[in-house]
Amino acid sequence: MADHPERDDGRPFRLDRRGFLKWSAVAGGSALGGLGKGLTLPGGPPLPWDIQEPGEPAPGPPLLEGGEWIPAPCWHNCGGQRCLLLAYVVDGEVLAVKTDDTHPDTAHTPQMRACARGRAQQGQVFAPDRLRYPMKRRNWAPGGGRRELRGEDEWERISWDEALDLTAAELERILARHGNEAVLELGSTLRRLFRGLGGAVTNWGSTSWGTWLDTGPRIGLGDGLSRTSHNDRLDLQNADLIVLWGGNPAWTAQGNAMYYYLQAKRAGAEFLFIDPYYNDSAMVLADEWVPVRPGTDHALALGMAYTLLDEDDPATNPLIDWDFLNRCTVGFDPEHLPPGADPRDNVRDYVLGRRDGTPKTPEWAARISGVSAPRIRRLARRMARARRAALLTAWAPARTHNTDSWPQMFLTLGCMTGHIGEPGRMTGVSCWERTADGGPFLIGAGRSGEPPAPRVPRKTSARINNSELWEAVLEGEYTAREGERREVDIRAIIHDGASALNQVSGLLKGIEAHRAVDFVLTLNFVYNTNARYSDVVLPVTTQWERHSYFKGNRDHLIWARKVVEPQYETRDDIWIAQELARRLGMDPTDIRPLSPEQEEFNRLAGAWVVSPDDRERENLVRITSDDIREMGVQGEPQEGRISVEEFRRKGIHVVPRRPDDGLGHVAFADFRRDPEGHPLSTPSGRFELHCQDIADHVRSVGFTRIDPIPVYRPPAEGYEETFEDFQEGIKGPHPLQLITLHYRRRTHSVFDNVAWLREAFPQEFIMNPVDAEARGLATGDAVLVESRHGTVLRPLFVTPRIMPGVVALGEGAWADIDPRTGVDRAGATNVLNGDRPTGQGHQGWNTCVVEVRPYRGPEPLKADWRQPPRTPKGVAGP
Amino acid sequence: MTAPLGFHLDASACIGCRTCVTACKSKNALPAGRDYRRVVEYGDGSWIPDPEDPTLLAPSNLFAYCLSIACMHCEDPACMAACPTEAIQQRPDGIVLIDSARCAGCRYCEWACPYGALSFDPSTGRMTKCDLCADLIDAGQEPWCAASCVTRALEVGPMDELRARHGELDALAPLPSGDQTRPRLVITPHRDAQPAGRGSGDASNPERDLR
Repeated sequence: MADHPERDDGRPFRLDRRGFLKWSAVAGGSALGGLGKGLTLPGGPPLPWDIQEPGEPAPGPPLLEGGEWIPAPCWHNCGGQRCLLLAYVVDGEVLAVKTDDTHPDTAHTPQMRACARGRAQQGQVFAPDRLRYPMKRRNWAPGGGRRELRGEDEWERISWDEALDLTAAELERILARHGNEAVLELGSTLRRLFRGLGGAVTNWGSTSWGTWLDTGPRIGLGDGLSRTSHNDRLDLQNADLIVLWGGNPAWTAQGNAMYYYLQAKRAGAEFLFIDPYYNDSAMVLADEWVPVRPGTDHALALGMAYTLLDEDDPATNPLIDWDFLNRCTVGFDPEHLPPGADPRDNVRDYVLGRRDGTPKTPEWAARISGVSAPRIRRLARRMARARRAALLTAWAPARTHNTDSWPQMFLTLGCMTGHIGEPGRMTGVSCWERTADGGPFLIGAGRSGEPPAPRVPRKTSARINNSELWEAVLEGEYTAREGERREVDIRAIIHDGASALNQVSGLLKGIEAHRAVDFVLTLNFVYNTNARYSDVVLPVTTQWERHSYFKGNRDHLIWARKVVEPQYETRDDIWIAQELARRLGMDPTDIRPLSPEQEEFNRLAGAWVVSPDDRERENLVRITSDDIREMGVQGEPQEGRISVEEFRRKGIHVVPRRPDDGLGHVAFADFRRDPEGHPLSTPSGRFELHCQDIADHVRSVGFTRIDPIPVYRPPAEGYEETFEDFQEGIKGPHPLQLITLHYRRRTHSVFDNVAWLREAFPQEFIMNPVDAEARGLATGDAVLVESRHGTVLRPLFVTPRIMPGVVALGEGAWADIDPRTGVDRAGATNVLNGDRPTGQGHQGWNTCVVEVRPYRGPEPLKADWRQPPRTPKGVAGP
Repeated sequence: MTAPLGFHLDASACIGCRTCVTACKSKNALPAGRDYRRVVEYGDGSWIPDPEDPTLLAPSNLFAYCLSIACMHCEDPACMAACPTEAIQQRPDGIVLIDSARCAGCRYCEWACPYGALSFDPSTGRMTKCDLCADLIDAGQEPWCAASCVTRALEVGPMDELRARHGELDALAPLPSGDQTRPRLVITPHRDAQPAGRGSGDASNPERDLR
């Protein structure tokens, strides 16, 4: 590249030294004139948490002596690989947190390194906005009090006795007056309590999985979590082509997953990304990026299938693996249908247009998906001609309204190209904790030994789907199954350990629902959205303050333990359940029949690891009588691979891996070789491209219907609904498609309050320059984003990395509704996502249509990291 | 170790996850508002009518990569040259340190450093920066940024070894040319890497503050 003083387009090079320093100064913060208390930006509040006071020397790095490194739980539903944290504790104080350094780091047996969130864990456990004491809402009274003030009320600190008495009394009143069906439990930590009382109403529905939860297993592929369909991470290196369809492991599967994909790349695999966003995973991995409109993946796949059928010639241009289709699937053509099927319901005739008169040509698919027809053809050929391809998808494309057939369409492409069941060849979900490493586990913890709860007759079996949840509370009715609506009269909402109000679609309706009932209770460790809209808040311990913790992944097991004593007046959820049980006439030992020490021992004694020789399980831990005595538990000594002392000290055991170590996994290898001898657990024993089972199941739920073959139906609030008139191409009032990303600041809603993470990840609203310029918007503007369901306010980040017509925002920010305008200032995506029951009862978070306009005040929007932590009004602060 | 130490950054593996940034903040107890290590995302691109289907837009010259940078512990540190009180010194192993007893807080070093590596601590009135985890180095351990990197993009070691293994490239856009201060940095370029001083893109992190 020749030396030019300015670019070809005449604009000066922006990043001269001054420009770079300006960026660097903003990033470092120092040039902004200091950020200690009293040295704030004009008009800004003092900054939170770990900002030093002026004149006070900076604490400086802690001196690490006189303490010990304790394996600390990283307990989150992060989608990551499960990482090791070690906390340096001196006199009950955590001075530093590091990650795995227990063994040398090699490519085959890497250290289990934590991400930025794990590294910021102290900021969560010791946060200034940690819930410290039980609290009661000032304007609450039994029966609800001034229920309309929930979310805006002041709080009073109360004692544990008062909090538990009050809670028990209100539960008793509601149970007696209205029955068990008046209590809606939206978490699980009080589950044994409610079961003992005869049950409560619960919510149900696929969340992260989208439509993979119910469709995946029925078609033969598994849901991607409890059952995987991809090969292990060392076999991945055998692939020539790796397709990541709708996945972003760099954000959503942190820990080693990207490292495993990078290893596959270095071993020669080419990566093809199909995604609306040139995401950070594509940035380092992609050889090709195909922008596709959200929710149109099924249409794109149909265009590809058409290409294969159109161009395939077994003699001169073999693109379709007919042998695999014929031996290993049902439903592709009339000759291979299950008994009783309508002969018109076969994939081939549907794709070719013989079933409905519309051939699913690449031109047809291009109109919907935004991928040009020539490109669709090239994609199909590339996938088919690859010798060994890994066709991998994440759950995001399936978190779209009424796309219950999408997993089946994805499977169809895998079956047509035959990339299943051989080294380097696989088709299925590769996401969440199973990213890049599929197959049965090589190691695991034992069971806790907790005996089942005593059988108590259930007084309610009511279960409400997530997409009808708030509506059911407000209107008193829900769908029990197809054709059957039932009444329900919810009087109490219990948030025991989940984040339902923030994380279920239709957040504004959720707030209304919370203001409609008599009693709202939250158990949590921070003042999150649930807590804010409650009447009584009970502060609980985090995993760092509890007895023990076991968690792992395919090739490692972590044993972490209590790092510090419970902070302030926090208590375990189990203790709370026992105290409530006592007050409600139940035996508290039904809640926790075993001591935490005994449960820990049981899990340790039952921990297993696979032997490479025969792949049978053997004991992981060697336990002596001394160990048993020291732990103060019941048990028998046993042989095992590692000592208790070693496991306790390191906090982790990693199963060493090497190529050809006998511990790899090729999914469906036996089935492919011999489908009769190793049938799948589907009705036909094969992959079901015609699946009556899923069609019947979706129908039985009672929301919408699908066909037994993968027929494309435009998703509700999908691309087609950006138009007022799709046929004429006239855009409607919400012409942009919103995708809601798993955002790096958080694990869903957890970590949102941590200062370091708020600083690193600003919860920006992401938009393409074409769309921004059309609206007169630029990076740094504050913008209002409006859907059919609500409006949020966010700082704008303009980047060409997202395709035009699509915008993005991270999910999980804690709602902060401005009471005067109803606008959410935090960017809580469930304000934009509406509750919309479809299909199997999943949530369509990636189908949402919006418009964006500049925000003109009156109050300026400050960057998230400059805002003070949200603390309960009225109660004394830190 | 007395052989001069430095960094290798594999820009083809950096995913911009900020794990290194946070590990460093954790080790140094840095508050929000002050970072020793920073990640810059650099890129460009536009959308033009797709030649194969003019009803669609297609990306043109779209690229992006991330660089994780801290203090470069340069061979010719501009900060040290600028400091009027000789508060900045360099060890035989190349680690550049600030003696806060001598630091007057004049901030000349902050202006001199082409990498923006120094930051002012308003509570003490002194300058602060990455010290390559000198305490860990002296104990034979790795700095936390390198030890934390989840894609193994960041490495610390003797510069002659790093250069032997990874080459001589010491700058990419948007970093300044290595000729200025001769940073102890060697970069494995991203496939879309652009030369320092001649990049066509922009540093494109989401703005930290609104306009």
